Amino acid sequence: MTTQRPAGLAGAGLAGELAEIVGGDHVRTDAGALETFARDATPLHRATPDAICFPGETREVAAVIELAAERGIPVVPRGSGTNLCAATVPHRGGIVLSLTRMNRLLELDAANMVAVCQPGVITARLGEAAAERGLLYPPDPGSRATSTIAGNVATCAGGLRGLKYGVTRDYVLGCEVVIGTGETLRCGGKLVKDVAGLDLTRLLCGSEGTLGVITELTVRLVPAAAANATGVAYFSDLADAGRAVSQILAAGVLPVTLEFLDHTCLETVEEFAGIGLRTDAGALLIFGQDGAAEAIAGDMSAMAEACAQNNGFGVEIADSDADAQELLEARRAVLPSLSRRAPLTILEDASVPRARLAEMVQRIDAIAAEHDLLIGTFGHAGDGNLHPTCVVDPAQDGVLQRVEQAFAQIFAAALELGGTISGEHGIGLAKRDHLRSQLGDAHMRLLTRLKAAFDPADILNPGKLAS
Amino acid sequence: MSEPPIFTEELLDRCISCGFCLSACPTYALTGEEVSSPRGRINLMRALEEGRLPADDPTLAEESSFCLGCRACEPVCPAGVQYGPLLEEWRARQWPPRTRPLRLRGLLWATNRRWRVRALGLPRRHARRRRGPGPWLMLGCFERALFPAVSRLAARLVPGARVVARQGCCGALHAHNGELARGHELARELGEALPGVILTTSGGCAAHLAAVLGRDRVRELSEWLVESGAAASSGGARPDGAAASTGAAASTGAAASTGETGARPSETGARPSETWPRPSETRPRVGLQDSCHLRNANGVWREPRELIGRVAEYVELPSASRCCGAAGTYALLRPRDSRVILDAKLDEIAAAEVDYVVAVNPGCLRQLRQGLRRRGSATRAIHLAELLATLGD
Ligand SMILES: Cc1cc2nc3c(=O)[nH]c(=O)nc-3n(C[C@H](O)[C@H](O)[C@H](O)COP(=O)(O)OP(=O)(O)OC[C@H]3O[C@@H](n4cnc5c(N)ncnc54)[C@H](O)[C@@H]3O)c2cc1C
Ligand code: SF4
Ligand code: SF4
Repeated sequence: MTTQRPAGLAGAGLAGELAEIVGGDHVRTDAGALETFARDATPLHRATPDAICFPGETREVAAVIELAAERGIPVVPRGSGTNLCAATVPHRGGIVLSLTRMNRLLELDAANMVAVCQPGVITARLGEAAAERGLLYPPDPGSRATSTIAGNVATCAGGLRGLKYGVTRDYVLGCEVVIGTGETLRCGGKLVKDVAGLDLTRLLCGSEGTLGVITELTVRLVPAAAANATGVAYFSDLADAGRAVSQILAAGVLPVTLEFLDHTCLETVEEFAGIGLRTDAGALLIFGQDGAAEAIAGDMSAMAEACAQNNGFGVEIADSDADAQELLEARRAVLPSLSRRAPLTILEDASVPRARLAEMVQRIDAIAAEHDLLIGTFGHAGDGNLHPTCVVDPAQDGVLQRVEQAFAQIFAAALELGGTISGEHGIGLAKRDHLRSQLGDAHMRLLTRLKAAFDPADILNPGKLAS
Repeated sequence: MSEPPIFTEELLDRCISCGFCLSACPTYALTGEEVSSPRGRINLMRALEEGRLPADDPTLAEESSFCLGCRACEPVCPAGVQYGPLLEEWRARQWPPRTRPLRLRGLLWATNRRWRVRALGLPRRHARRRRGPGPWLMLGCFERALFPAVSRLAARLVPGARVVARQGCCGALHAHNGELARGHELARELGEALPGVILTTSGGCAAHLAAVLGRDRVRELSEWLVESGAAASSGGARPDGAAASTGAAASTGAAASTGETGARPSETGARPSETWPRPSETRPRVGLQDSCHLRNANGVWREPRELIGRVAEYVELPSASRCCGAAGTYALLRPRDSRVILDAKLDEIAAAEVDYVVAVNPGCLRQLRQGLRRRGSATRAIHLAELLATLGD
């Protein structure tokens, strides 16, 4: 990725002006710091910003945005930089606005079952604070130990509990946001019902920092389930697993976990982690439920039976929490195991309607074979969210072009099957060129007008998502 | 590029920039800035390797030194990045001998030769020479000067241990401070001087030795005791089978005349008037400070907890697994940062109202002891060997 910058925006004065707003200790322009903010968790994309600043309060955020708008300097809001779509790579230079200092959990209102927090609160910390009061903050992206709550909202992060509990957008009740003019507004609040004005809070979900900088969030919590259970089943064919999933859902069971691994993933995990998986199987399904103990038992046996009826074998329900953790280990070990096979790991998240899952995995396998690539697919069987993951050695000649072609085909296949190019990771810079083919021209034009309404100077994460 | 690589390519390539390590890193917790996170530092290493940053870049210098080297970033890393070895390679390039602070140069010098290390242990109050079936007890370099009782008590806890006086420093100090090659050489020399399984009372040394000589060659004290099933148990038989009379001497806190069998609290930092609580009377509340390298590199953390639980009421301090700020030479080189990290720990210890905090590494022991003293705390820091030898009787 080449860095294209409007001439002379940085200037020697920028650091000083930012320092006046946030204090000298909270601005960095040294080459080393710029280097480390050039990347996020997305491979293959890097570009250095001109400055990084760490505001401590909303007022400072607003002042930085005002300054940037006046000068036309790009501002890239950033949480923990764990996104997988290069959404925080400052490819046009400018200011990275890191919100890690604004990390206080302001209120945990158990009576109203809401939490109010600053943008930089770590997702897992919110989860722990809720758990202490017998509550649950359901969205649980795999990155929750590191990701920030505003980062989750700005990417509308999903997670393992998506099918039953929904995703981040289902839990955001209100926020405070600084839009591209430097104005600060509040939308929503603690109320479950509130129809005054448009639902801007929802609009901000998945906006990837292109519409405004979130400076405070009010999120909804739910009562924590009394118990959990987890089970596994193997299938020789992923299509059978797909049928089992359909049968489970048709039977009226709404499981909290329904994850699958394809054969490539199974083999890789076993090879590296050696946790006793059956590599003769074509797919592994992990199913789980939470709720009241008796209800769980019924659901678990119904799910086990659906698996068995669809040629599932090695069906097993964990007896204890420790055993359940062991079963989930296979799922957690996929990405690291795949990543150890070659220096470069490219993780995508095309999704299809649940009923087309097996078909989609077959298409991915065929595309991988066509381009001679190793692609393992795992993901959330319940909501059709797939993670085709390609591992390659970038030193190999022409391999990156092959990867690019393969993923273009995978995205096309997902759209053909009525799916999306991104279930939960977002568009950012990485998938920007593919967005139009999914949304169409009229939709893209509306997004452009919306962006201009929030950010007339086009300074908020410009060049990302639909901008 | 004609320059030889600074980093082992496979090690540096391994990082997938996922950021999982951020939440585990104490320096990131202090600043919240990517530059002082493990992922940030790996990106700095890459910039150095690829020539995007010059070797004399001030941020490179600052971050290679601000890093505690605690390796808390390793167990949480899904891609299996070995940060410790990367940091050693980084410092080997980043800290040329002449730029090192004088204090550090002195330390490295003192431990660079076997005779100098032996001189540190004079007058010898550490474990005496002894033939046994093994393992081979390591006396340490600074440990033998600062906490000689530790090796003596370890020898008592492991009656079969073999002790020889001719042994030097393991080289961890060198490897962590820019002298990687010498650090490996010293470890190999020690491996020859102690040609079997090496038993150590220092978590940091255990990890370094394991990295150079192989994991099989090293056992840290708690690991050895749990594995051999010979650990002290409350009210149980003495692990070394010694006569009950010496046990009584130790439990009253009186120095045993030989200095070989009894814990002499005066030597281990306790005020002479103080007596050790006897297990039969009270069960002291005891917390633990993990040794970062022992936990993160060698995977030993259950063992000390188990052993403490056998003789006392074990209390898990909320940040037991987090660095105390001693971090090898860190407390010496960056006293201010080290204090900030330690202070949070001391607050926790105060809140937990423990009688003792156990350390399994001499650096941590020194750090905690100084911190607790400064605060006039009633809690005392002691080495695991001291706790077991005393309460296990
Ligand atoms: C190993 C791994 C596993 C993952 N698992 C999942 C998963 O299961 N489900 C899932 O959905 N995602 C997952 N992700 C992706 C990623 O963790 C999420 O997108 C997460 O929400 C990003 O949070 P962050 O704090 O790191 O945000 P960043 O990466 O820093 O930023 C993400 C986006 O949010 C914007 N942003 C950040 N803060 C603000 C703010 N205050 N105001 C406005 N915009 C802001 C940024 O500009 C950017 O566009 C995973 C990533 C990794 C590396
Ligand atoms: S957790 Fe490991 S792979 Fe992820 S950023 Fe840290 S060092 Fe790199
Ligand atoms: S060694 Fe410790 S201080 Fe250094 S990067 Fe890793 S976790 Fe942070």
